[in-house]
Amino acid sequence: MLAGAGYRRTMTDQPPALSLRGLAKRFDTKIAVAGVDLAVPTGSFYGLLGPNGAGKTTTLSMAVGLLRPDAGEARVLGYDVWADPVRAKSLLGVMPDGVRLFDRLSGAELLAYHGLLRGMDPAVVDQRATELLDVLALSDAGRTLVVDYSAGMKKKIGLACALLHGPRLLVLDEPFEAVDPVSAALIRDILHRYVTGGGTVIFSSHVMEVVERLCSHVAILADGRIKRVGTLAEVRGERSLEEVFVEVVGGRTATGQELSWLSR
Amino acid sequence: MAVPVTAPERPVRAVSPRHFVRLKLRVLGNNFRGQAWRIGLFVLGVLFALWFAATGFILLAAPGLADETRYALMTAAFGGALLTLGWLLLPLVFFGVDETLDPARFALLPLSRRTLVTGLLAAALVSVPVLATAITAAGLVVTAGALGGWSAALVGALGVVGGLLVCVAGARALTSAFATMLRSRRVRDLAAVLLAVLAAMLGPLQLFVVAAVRQADWDRLTGVARVIGWTPFGAPWTVGVDVAQGRPVVAVVKLLITAATVGVLLLWWSRSLESAMVGAASAGPARAPRGVVGGAAAQLFPRAVGWVRRDRFGALVARECRYWWRDARRRANLITVAVVGVFVPVMVNLGGASFAVEGGTTFGESAADASPVLVSISMAFVGVLASVTLANQFGFDGSAYAANVVAGVPGRVELRARMTAFSLYVVPILAVIVVVLAFLLGRPEWLGAMAGALFAAYGCGLAINGFVSVLGAYSLPETSNPFAMNTGAGIAKSLYTLVSMVSATVAAVPFVVAAALLGDVWLWLALPAGLAYGAGAALLGAYLAGDALDRRQPELLAAVTPTR
Repeated sequence: MLAGAGYRRTMTDQPPALSLRGLAKRFDTKIAVAGVDLAVPTGSFYGLLGPNGAGKTTTLSMAVGLLRPDAGEARVLGYDVWADPVRAKSLLGVMPDGVRLFDRLSGAELLAYHGLLRGMDPAVVDQRATELLDVLALSDAGRTLVVDYSAGMKKKIGLACALLHGPRLLVLDEPFEAVDPVSAALIRDILHRYVTGGGTVIFSSHVMEVVERLCSHVAILADGRIKRVGTLAEVRGERSLEEVFVEVVGGRTATGQELSWLSR
Repeated sequence: MAVPVTAPERPVRAVSPRHFVRLKLRVLGNNFRGQAWRIGLFVLGVLFALWFAATGFILLAAPGLADETRYALMTAAFGGALLTLGWLLLPLVFFGVDETLDPARFALLPLSRRTLVTGLLAAALVSVPVLATAITAAGLVVTAGALGGWSAALVGALGVVGGLLVCVAGARALTSAFATMLRSRRVRDLAAVLLAVLAAMLGPLQLFVVAAVRQADWDRLTGVARVIGWTPFGAPWTVGVDVAQGRPVVAVVKLLITAATVGVLLLWWSRSLESAMVGAASAGPARAPRGVVGGAAAQLFPRAVGWVRRDRFGALVARECRYWWRDARRRANLITVAVVGVFVPVMVNLGGASFAVEGGTTFGESAADASPVLVSISMAFVGVLASVTLANQFGFDGSAYAANVVAGVPGRVELRARMTAFSLYVVPILAVIVVVLAFLLGRPEWLGAMAGALFAAYGCGLAINGFVSVLGAYSLPETSNPFAMNTGAGIAKSLYTLVSMVSATVAAVPFVVAAALLGDVWLWLALPAGLAYGAGAALLGAYLAGDALDRRQPELLAAVTPTR
């Protein structure tokens, strides 16, 4: 069952870094994701945009093997995440959102844990962990447990864990949520360097500015479906991304009549 | 400090305990929505509780129905004290408390401490165990009524209500206080010792009761019952009998004692509640940054497991070892293993001895009561009990387990590592227990048989609980209270514990049989055979359950992720 899974790769054109086909998930009566198709080209910086509850986290969880889809398939560089998880997961770096880290460890301990869990050589783990902690300005924390870190520090150590084994594809769920501007700039720089070096990033967000500044490709997800997809220029057209987003998602604006008691 | 909220204006409607009760019922109801298995579990729990309650009711009502005035006070005092003691200790060592309404969630609301405590108490009263206890205690009311008419029944009912309040408030206050202590890193060792002493107190008490009952000296027992009746443990439960037997003044004083007890307990609870509310966000004070020694990998591995290879298995073992100590919930479980592990075999095997000493017979004669078979059974029980700690081992991790899923850790490696790490703590504890017990019994030659049965049962238990933890995992609430449980989880826990205990005991039966049949040869053969049997069972369990884990990693992750 596991052996034949990799053969779909064609030798002529490189497979996309991440390809999703017909991914669907239903929780009880609520349909969270209703058939998502997505092809993330290798070397792209991909933004998955969507309002709260659009199904971003569910989609990404299914793409990386954290949540079993009801239907559809997910492939990382041609390897099926659900049929050949070992190959696929070794190429993946993941930073989930709303998931705790093993936070009763210190930063260095957590990195060592992740590295060894990925089967890396301890010497390499030591060297990379030191480097990552330095770059992310986490070395000062010393033996402080991750549970006592601030929100921004937690995001940074999560990113470090995802990067440690040198994955080909980074999947980040809300990497800029609850992060201060300084840390956000640092994270942006690191991700930029990673993409320039041949890696692929897909991340979810609902912050337009970040996406507009970073991404080469954008997909807008709402109500569990992909509404718009393409390069940033294609999706945006002549307008700002925010305008397109609000139009696609279909929001409403306050008329000024309601909540009158808020003003004195 | 206090709740950081000042009420800017008077609330239009005061918040009453009624609101808390309704909130709890609503949360309970919503938990059941669309979850048939939860409803099933709940119904099962209610049926169990009713069965126990009916048994208790009959026992407590018996003196009244049989018109036996002599035993009425004794039944009320001992039965009531046992109920109270159970309420105080069981949440600590086994069940945990139902934190459907987590106090931390009320931290931001402008509620006075008094409102909060009475409200939470009212909500705590709405639960199946309280219902069962009330039914049981109704037996006392029947007794009082049968012996002393309506007035006695009425006072008895009043006493029962007071007794219930003592039980619930006591359980809350105690767990809350221990949670606070276990949370702060400085006094956690003190808390461990206190818990141990508390549980150890049960031992002598039980010995005393057993001795007294065997002696069947009714006058003496009545005396003891009278004394218990004056303590908060017995006071509320005995007032009905007091009125029935013509001691109304005593009853009034006892009711006052009860009221004072409830007051003190609530005060204590509200104190620790405050720290629970404020301290909920972080697990404790940040530890002072010490000098960092060695590389990242060297830091991960505690010195005690320095010998483990620096690979996937080693990393899992090291992380688990760190967690068994650093995670308050796991630490509480470890302490329980140590305490119960000491106290059960002592109770079973020395119970007869202590009676004999009290009765004036020589120690050696009574030690003949204990046989290799009985000792083997009690040791097997300890081994199984220790392994049951792992029945929800993935629940301890919660959503953090996602890291292992993303890394694609093979199930067999995962389970073997978890068993190894837990054993690094537990096996030394068990070894000490065996040695101490063998010498206490004055039978060092039984050491091999005892250790053999213990480790065989422990290994079988590890194997079974490997399966239970993969197939029956449930989420634990993300609060700082290590005793907190989700609604219904208590029933699930009891059920799984029962399943794993029964199956592990069955698996360990050959050892008890061998102890009975083989005689002296067995004393020497048991230890190597037990170690091999236990290790083999554990490895086989990890092998088979690991397969199951590989197939259901995402489902397991979903099961242990707390819903918010």
